[in-house]
Amino acid sequence: MSVLEHALVVFSLISFGYFVLLNAVYLVFTGIAWRRVTYYRRARQFSGADEAFASPLTPPVSILLPAFNEEAGIVESVRSLLALRFPELEVIVINDGSTDGTLRRLADGFDLAPIRKATRTTLPTAPIRGSYASRKHRELWVIDKENGGKADALNAGVNAARYPYFCAVDADAILEPDALLHVAKPILDDPDVVVATGGIVRIANGCRIEHGQVVDVALPRSRLATLQVVEYLRAFLVGRMGWSRLGCLLIISGAFGVFQRSLVAVAGGYSTTTVGEDVELVVRLHRYLRERGEAYRIQFVPDPVAWTEVPEDLGSLARQRRRWQRGLAEALWRHKVVTLNPRYGVFGLFAVPSFFLIELVGPVIELIGYPSVIAGAALGYLSLTFLVAFSVVAILVGAVLSVAALALEEFNFRRYKRGREAARLVAMSLVENLGYRQLATLWRVLALVDVARRRGGWGEVRRRGLGYAPARGASRGR
Amino acid sequence: MIDELGWVSGALALLSLLLVCTLAGRRVTLARAERRRLGAEERLRPLALALVDGGSVPLPPLTAHDSRALAVVLARYARQVNGAALAYIGDFFEGHGHVARELSRLEDRRAWRRASAAHALGGMASERAIPVLLKALADPDRDVAAAAARSLGRLRALEAVEPLVYALVDGRLPRAVSAQGLLSIGPEAVPRLRDLLAEAPAQVAAFAVDLIGLLGDATNAPELTVLLRDTSAEVRAHAARALGRLGAEEAADELRRALDDRIPFVRVNAAHALGAIGDVSAAPALARQARMDGFDPAEAAARALVRVSPQVLEAVAAEPGNWPHLDQAVDLARIQA
Repeated sequence: MSVLEHALVVFSLISFGYFVLLNAVYLVFTGIAWRRVTYYRRARQFSGADEAFASPLTPPVSILLPAFNEEAGIVESVRSLLALRFPELEVIVINDGSTDGTLRRLADGFDLAPIRKATRTTLPTAPIRGSYASRKHRELWVIDKENGGKADALNAGVNAARYPYFCAVDADAILEPDALLHVAKPILDDPDVVVATGGIVRIANGCRIEHGQVVDVALPRSRLATLQVVEYLRAFLVGRMGWSRLGCLLIISGAFGVFQRSLVAVAGGYSTTTVGEDVELVVRLHRYLRERGEAYRIQFVPDPVAWTEVPEDLGSLARQRRRWQRGLAEALWRHKVVTLNPRYGVFGLFAVPSFFLIELVGPVIELIGYPSVIAGAALGYLSLTFLVAFSVVAILVGAVLSVAALALEEFNFRRYKRGREAARLVAMSLVENLGYRQLATLWRVLALVDVARRRGGWGEVRRRGLGYAPARGASRGR
Repeated sequence: MIDELGWVSGALALLSLLLVCTLAGRRVTLARAERRRLGAEERLRPLALALVDGGSVPLPPLTAHDSRALAVVLARYARQVNGAALAYIGDFFEGHGHVARELSRLEDRRAWRRASAAHALGGMASERAIPVLLKALADPDRDVAAAAARSLGRLRALEAVEPLVYALVDGRLPRAVSAQGLLSIGPEAVPRLRDLLAEAPAQVAAFAVDLIGLLGDATNAPELTVLLRDTSAEVRAHAARALGRLGAEEAADELRRALDDRIPFVRVNAAHALGAIGDVSAAPALARQARMDGFDPAEAAARALVRVSPQVLEAVAAEPGNWPHLDQAVDLARIQA
């Protein structure tokens, strides 16, 4: 055998090993998620969300909404936040140097007046140009600042927030009326232990939206967006639920998460030097709290929903996925000291190494694996029949995992009421592994190339605004 | 190997098919059950209303399904009615064996069944359930204990006051649930909460103070005022907040003194309380705190000043210097006028 032939065989074996490991992890997580989500559904009737809403003892929350060139949907987004069911809250919109009419739309929509707002200076940010309060809504504030990026805008919001907890929300996200109450519930129940929580992000494309609320849940017409519905369900209901159960939730979506304000401030706020400021913050909080030996929990809650638009064209989707992968890679690399370090417990010994292996190394193995296995079969080192049989197994395993995630959704939440939509989701979960998965893998590998070449940026974000239905455009939700 | 892969493929395909069929079957079954439930509730609502109104309505023979549906409707009404109507509902649940059934389910091995039973008992207006629910507060499953706490609140069980405050403090129960359970018991809980002020640990006393502020009245002000000098900062802070909620004007002197407390969150609560009471004589002290103190106490003092004396606020904000909290308060008062 030549060196090339040896390399082909070895790489084929690595690919098979990776396949088995990856799917074993997914299967275990699917099992954990089934157990947890079912338990959560049963416990929901005793969860006491209504009590929390009625209770004068519920701590107030500041909602932070960073906005850059969001004139199309900013008024709708703010309206949806002002309509949230929560005993006491304030909404702080941070206009991050928008060059469009974002500030004007806010001023017109909410009758803003300039105000000299007192803010902390704990976290450094780009200069604040001015602050505004609404004559119509006492709980609405707008901070107008020079452009510094989303993380910088959030830091300005953390400085300005008045209440002990803040909820970071994307400007293109729509929260359901009870979403804040449900996502904050673990914190309200155990304020001494739970320091951050995240909710599920669902896809708004195709849904009917009126007055800043999703009034009819429906699947998008676009196949690409529908594939992402399946993907999101699997990622949130299975992935995040599983990691949360292990006490190692690494990602709280930038579109919807609640944090203890003083902790975030003392840990240094959002990092302005990464595109994955949401992942980086959560990893840093784990690290910060574990280094101090503090008992804490960062928790995922599966039913408070933030609706967000997803890209319906390949270009936007590719840019979004490359940005997410870059953010994850930067966060893991920045905190690499945690990896396999017993000081950080299961977080350092299992969660971070798994993310390195599955999310960063995995796509590379997978991408090289496809041609090397095919070449091995073509050159006769691998049986063609075996290759075909293995491919069928691989596709079916993917399908079973996706259908299991759909079943989890159907058994517990049943958001898609129409039978034909459920059937369409099943069909998409069956074909997801034929092309879409490979494309997503390619984008993730290209993102790693971007990281190596130190290429960054958010990429173009096109938006029609959520006031239009069905909505189109790109999303910052993760 | 290829044969094995073939078997695995077959098994996976079968599993996928099974999952899809289960999904479809469940969708149809659930839709049918939902229609049936709604139909039964609609049909039985007049009967439920008659029961709540008069109590001694002869019940027609009910199927097990209808009996459950009627129980659901009556449990819903139980949360909204009092007195005789509640007693009629209690008689129904007791007389038709619902209470006995839920009490026996409270012994179930499965935690969610115990939780479901504890939850249901709260809507059955049965005194008999109280000792069992008190025992369930110590259930190893947190959801069962939480459901019991809620039900004890609904049943207005005075015996639950002390265990609920202790459970709230030591984290055995979700805080929101146990707090709301206590609030549901109502003003009758105040004497028992007062008993906790003297001897209970500081954290317990602090929550008792908070609840007295929510459930009590002006007669409770003197004993809360004394607590503004407690050795525990938590008790002092909660006492200040409670006095503000009660609008206790007689506590103004002590609250003004609390503006000089060494603990910031005590100063925050004292400022809020003075704002709520509207104590004009506190204006100079509040102005000083709004100018000189840390962020949170200064913010609280400036907001209190808006309520206490807008004239003093305008005057001190106009003095030379950088007073961000006073400036903010002035602007807010202007636009919200």
